[in-house]
Amino acid sequence: MSEDLTRRALLGNVARGTVLLTLAGGAGFLIRKANGQVVWQVDAARCLNSRLGEVNVEACSLCTSACVVALSAVRAVNEYSKCGRCNVCPAYFNITSAVDEHGLPSEKLCPRDAITRKAIGKVDPEDPANNFYEYAIDEDKCDGCGKCVMKCKEPLGLGSITLRIRYDKCVNCNRCAIATACPQSALLQLPVEQAIRPPEVRRLGL
Amino acid sequence: MSWNRQARLLAAALVLLGCLFLCVSRAPAQAVPYQRPVDTAPQPGAIGGGYKTPDVQKPLPRAYWLQVLDVGLLAAALGVSVWLVLKRRNRKWLVALTAGSLAYFGFYREGCICPIGSIQNVTVALTDPRYSIPMVVTATFVLPLVVALFFGRAFCGGVCALGAIQELVVLKPIRVPRRLDQALGLLKYAYLGLAILFAIRPALARDFLICRFDPFVGFFRREGAPHMLLIGGAFLAAGMFIGRPYCRYLCPYGALLSWCTRLARRGVTITPDKELDCGLCTGACPYGAIERMRAVRPNCFYCARCYAYCPRDGELARAKPSLVQLPGAPS
Repeated sequence: MSEDLTRRALLGNVARGTVLLTLAGGAGFLIRKANGQVVWQVDAARCLNSRLGEVNVEACSLCTSACVVALSAVRAVNEYSKCGRCNVCPAYFNITSAVDEHGLPSEKLCPRDAITRKAIGKVDPEDPANNFYEYAIDEDKCDGCGKCVMKCKEPLGLGSITLRIRYDKCVNCNRCAIATACPQSALLQLPVEQAIRPPEVRRLGL
Repeated sequence: MSWNRQARLLAAALVLLGCLFLCVSRAPAQAVPYQRPVDTAPQPGAIGGGYKTPDVQKPLPRAYWLQVLDVGLLAAALGVSVWLVLKRRNRKWLVALTAGSLAYFGFYREGCICPIGSIQNVTVALTDPRYSIPMVVTATFVLPLVVALFFGRAFCGGVCALGAIQELVVLKPIRVPRRLDQALGLLKYAYLGLAILFAIRPALARDFLICRFDPFVGFFRREGAPHMLLIGGAFLAAGMFIGRPYCRYLCPYGALLSWCTRLARRGVTITPDKELDCGLCTGACPYGAIERMRAVRPNCFYCARCYAYCPRDGELARAKPSLVQLPGAPS
């Protein structure tokens, strides 16, 4: 009886040890292969809305509809340092609408009115067309439909607006629903160092 | 005659052309193609007036040390769960731990990262040479299994957020017939196999079934597809009368944990008692994990109800005698 029990205990130990070794081996393999943190990001060179050459087509709004978060985690971001600050911005105004008394298009492009326009620098009140303007996108209103991105790119604009994933909104799904839906495969899962710029990486302590 | 007709035709064509021209010139100003006024972005110097280019707000992903903290908390919660159930045999504090885990891993971390979903990531990382997972994911996957190998399914008890949300809605559990219980329990192995099959497909056809059909993550995130919220609600409603239906019949990680638990040296034990084999624990177990008054460890979710109901052990046995005194009895 006691010998039987010890045999059972021994067998149990062997089995436990085997499973433990398997787990440790698997974990070791995965850790040796491991990369750091990975995040999803939009590749502007692949995204239909920001990719060059694609003009006069309807903006793709799959980022808005496919995301699992109610108000998509994708936002249009205006990189101010690349913005032309034009008086008549094709991403702010609907440039095919009729011109009003100030010489500006009468309709705005954004369906959610998320972009604001503000004169900056040395403002000349006499001649508004001679001023520079700052176009800021309200993150709480924007849903990443990409209409402004499509209009901002060359040759109409300078391509300062791109679609970006907001990491405060993104839940970093295993299989990003937008990536699955995107016909251009423009959503990539990247190591965090590639997805954001170096100074920001340093601040994260990565 | 024919010359006359030609002239008339010509005149008609001219009038038509004129109309067309008028139409075009009447069209609003945008007929003139838009041309961008600048070819390069003006920089602050050119803009003048002391203008400074504002920073573009780019929220950063969760910092790495916070992810390590998550793994640390998971390990700590596992340890506390083992201690509370196996050593203290205390249900009250275990319920507190369950609520805490639900709040942190469920509602605060929005159900991600969880060991259940990590099955798929681990599978893909093991099979696809181009896919790798961060170290924290590996740790999240392995930790509960190692604990189960020594102490049983402590993860299910006080740690798992999906288990916790079901644990807290158990109201009036019915006893599922043993055969039916066992048959339904096989579903989780099928689900595990299916999830692995879908995860090892080539990258484009790959699907993460466990995450896609996670019934409770919609509640944790306070948003989700209506049909998934409905399924989650149905699971919770059923969970009032059938204890933890997702854990018992579907959870693929539960399948792995119950395999590991079979090898565990320690676990929930119901001590044989010569005088009093009352069976109160069997009645208290909502999960059918006590058979013939002994715990069936692979099915035990470490809820410690059996201890709470035991007159010889746990809280009841440790209660002060005054508490069990009958009202009106002489003191």
